[in-house]
Amino acid sequence: MDYRFLPKKGLSLFVDGLLKDFKVYGPVKMDGFPVYEEVSSAKELLLMHSPSHITPKKYLFPQRETLLRFKTGEKPQVEHAADADNQVLFGIHPCDIHAIRLLDRVFAYGTPDVNYLRRREKTIIIGTECLPDKFCFCRSVNTMTAANDFDLFIHDIGAGFLVKIGTEKGKELLFRHVKTRKATIKEISKLVEFHKKKESMFTASINAEPSTLPLIYSGSYDSPVWEEIGKICYGCGSCNLVCPTCYCFDVRDDISLNMKDGERYRVWDGCLLEDFAKVAGGHNFRKTRGERLRHRFNRKFQFQVDKFGGLFCVGCGRCSRACLVNINIVEITNKLIEERETGKKE
Amino acid sequence: MTKNMPKPKVAFFSFTCCEGCQLQVLSCEDELVDILNLIEIVNFREAIDEKRDDYDIAFIEGSVSRQHEIEEVKKIREKANVVVALGACSSTGGLNCLKNKFPMEEVKKVVYGEKSKYYKYFDTIPARPLDAVIPVDYYLHGCPITKSEFLNVLKALLTGKRPDMPNYPVCVDCKMTGNICVFEKGKTCMGPVTRAGCDAICVTYGAVCWGCRGTVDNPNTESHEETLRIYGLTADDLVRSFDLYGGWNKYGGSK
Ligand code: SF4
Ligand code: SF4
Ligand code: SF4
Ligand code: SF4
Ligand code: SF4
Repeated sequence: MDYRFLPKKGLSLFVDGLLKDFKVYGPVKMDGFPVYEEVSSAKELLLMHSPSHITPKKYLFPQRETLLRFKTGEKPQVEHAADADNQVLFGIHPCDIHAIRLLDRVFAYGTPDVNYLRRREKTIIIGTECLPDKFCFCRSVNTMTAANDFDLFIHDIGAGFLVKIGTEKGKELLFRHVKTRKATIKEISKLVEFHKKKESMFTASINAEPSTLPLIYSGSYDSPVWEEIGKICYGCGSCNLVCPTCYCFDVRDDISLNMKDGERYRVWDGCLLEDFAKVAGGHNFRKTRGERLRHRFNRKFQFQVDKFGGLFCVGCGRCSRACLVNINIVEITNKLIEERETGKKE
Repeated sequence: MTKNMPKPKVAFFSFTCCEGCQLQVLSCEDELVDILNLIEIVNFREAIDEKRDDYDIAFIEGSVSRQHEIEEVKKIREKANVVVALGACSSTGGLNCLKNKFPMEEVKKVVYGEKSKYYKYFDTIPARPLDAVIPVDYYLHGCPITKSEFLNVLKALLTGKRPDMPNYPVCVDCKMTGNICVFEKGKTCMGPVTRAGCDAICVTYGAVCWGCRGTVDNPNTESHEETLRIYGLTADDLVRSFDLYGGWNKYGGSK
C-alpha cells in the first residue's frame, strides 16, 4: 500500500483544490457535537472527532430523495430523477467506511438502485482516524481499521499527515493539488502505534468471535431477552435511523396543488417503527416491540450475513448511543452469548 | 380530477380555540389561487362573509366545550361527507382539556368571576375532542397545524386517497432533520411518545417537543415516565408534561 507524507500546511491547500470540483462534506461542531455538513475550507473540519449522530450515509442515501418526477394530463410523462453532484466525504471513520462498503453491495444487489449508485460513483471518500468512546466496539467486529474501500485515508501524525492511498482516483486528486513525498517507515509506524493505542482503549466489547455471532443469534429466537427489552423500547426507530447499515425506505407520491405535476420520493424507514411491517388490511407481521427488536438484531448478525457474506453491524455504537432507554447492542449480544454458554435462559 | 367535475365545496368551522389553525390555512397565500381552482369555499368566518350549508368537506377547528356546540357539530356531521378535525383542540382536545382537571363549577368561577352572580348560568362542559362527539374521518394534528400537512390532506381528499398520518414519533422527524437530541443536552422532551409530522420544528428551533400533536397509536408511556424520571423530572413535572396536551385521555371522563 502506498503511503505519502503531506506537510501540515498542505491540508488546506488540498481542501481548497477539492472545493474547485467537488462539494466537500465533513465533520464540524454543532452545539458542541460533531455532525457532517458542507464545508468551504479546511479550517472548519474536525480532524479527530467522536462518532456523529447521523451517519455520513446521508450523502449517498439521503433522508428524503426524489426518485421520479411526473406530469399528468393527456400525455403523462415520467422522468427519472437521479441528480448527483461530485462530492467528497471527508473525515469518514473506519466503521463508516465498512458500512459504505456494505451499502454498496446492498444497492447493487438485484435490481441496481440507480439513485444510490449514481451518487456513489461521483463520491470520493477520505477517511480519518478516531478513538473509541464507551459505545464503540468496532474492534469486536473487525472494523477498527479499513484496509481499502476509501480513496484516501488521512492520519495526523503531528509534523504533518500520513496519507494512505486507496484508489487511483484518490492518488490523482492528491497529486494534482498538493506536493507530497513518500512516507518514511518511521512515519508509517506512527499509524501502527496509533492503532495499538486505539485497540487498548475499548470498554465495550463482544465476548465472542465475530464468526460465531450468526449461530448465536439463530439459536436465540426464543430468548426471554426480546420480551424484556420489548417492554422498555419506545419503538421510536432512532436505532434504525442512526445506523450506517440500515437502508430501508418508504416510497411516497406527492402531487402539486395544480394537479398537473408531482414527484415520487423515498424517505428513511425503520423496522422498529410500528407500521413498518403492517400490510394492506392492517395485519402486522411484527406486532410487538420485542419482535421488532429481535428482527433488527438478527438483520445485523444473521439474516444479512447469510445473504451478503458478512456481519451487518460495523460496531459504531450509534444505536446504543441514540437509545433513550439504554438498549445496548453489545450488552444484548453478550447476554445471548452467556445464555448459550450456560445453556440457561434467565 | 377532470375539468368538468364540479368543485368540492368546503367549509371551515371554529369552536373553542384560539383560531390559530384557521390562520395557518389563511397563510397559504402563495397556494390560494391553486386552491380556489380546486375547491369552492362556502363557509369560512375568518375569510368570507358568505355562509352556505351545502358543503362536502368540513374542517372543524376547536374543542367542544359547551352543550350547544354538541348540537352544532352534530348538524355539521349530518351535512358533510367528510369531516376533518383541524388542529390539536379538535383532534385530541388539546390544551383546553386542562380545565377538565377541575370541577366545572370551579372553572366557571375562575373564568367568569366568582363575584358575578351569573357565572352559574354559563354553559360549560368538560372540553373534548371532536371525535368524542361525532365520527371524524381525518385528523390534522398540531398546535397549530402545519400548512404543508393541511395542503397534503386537501390534495389527498381531492385525489381520492387516504391522507397519510404519521404513526411514528417526533424522534423520527429529528433524525430526518439531523437534530441533536435534547436529552443529550440535559433537557427533556415529549418527542418519543408524540406523533410526528411537524418536522420536529420546536427542537429544530432550539426548544423541546411538548407533545402538541398528541401521542402515537401505541405510546410506551411507562417507559417515557421512567426516562423522564431518570433525567431528573419530579412527580409533579411528570404530571405536567403528560397533562399539557394529554388532558382528554386522562381527565376526559371526569365531570
Ligand atoms: S466504532 Fe471504531 S471506527 Fe467507529 S468511530 Fe468508534 S472507534 Fe472509530
Ligand atoms: S432507539 Fe431504543 S427505544 Fe427506540 S426503537 Fe430503538 S431500541 Fe427501541
Ligand atoms: S447496529 Fe448499531 S452498532 Fe451496529 S452498525 Fe448499526 S448503529 Fe452501529
Ligand atoms: S429531541 Fe425529542 S423528539 Fe428529538 S430525538 Fe430527542 S427525544 Fe426524540
Ligand atoms: S415538536 Fe412537538 S410540540 Fe413542537 S410542533 Fe412538533 S409535536 Fe408539537
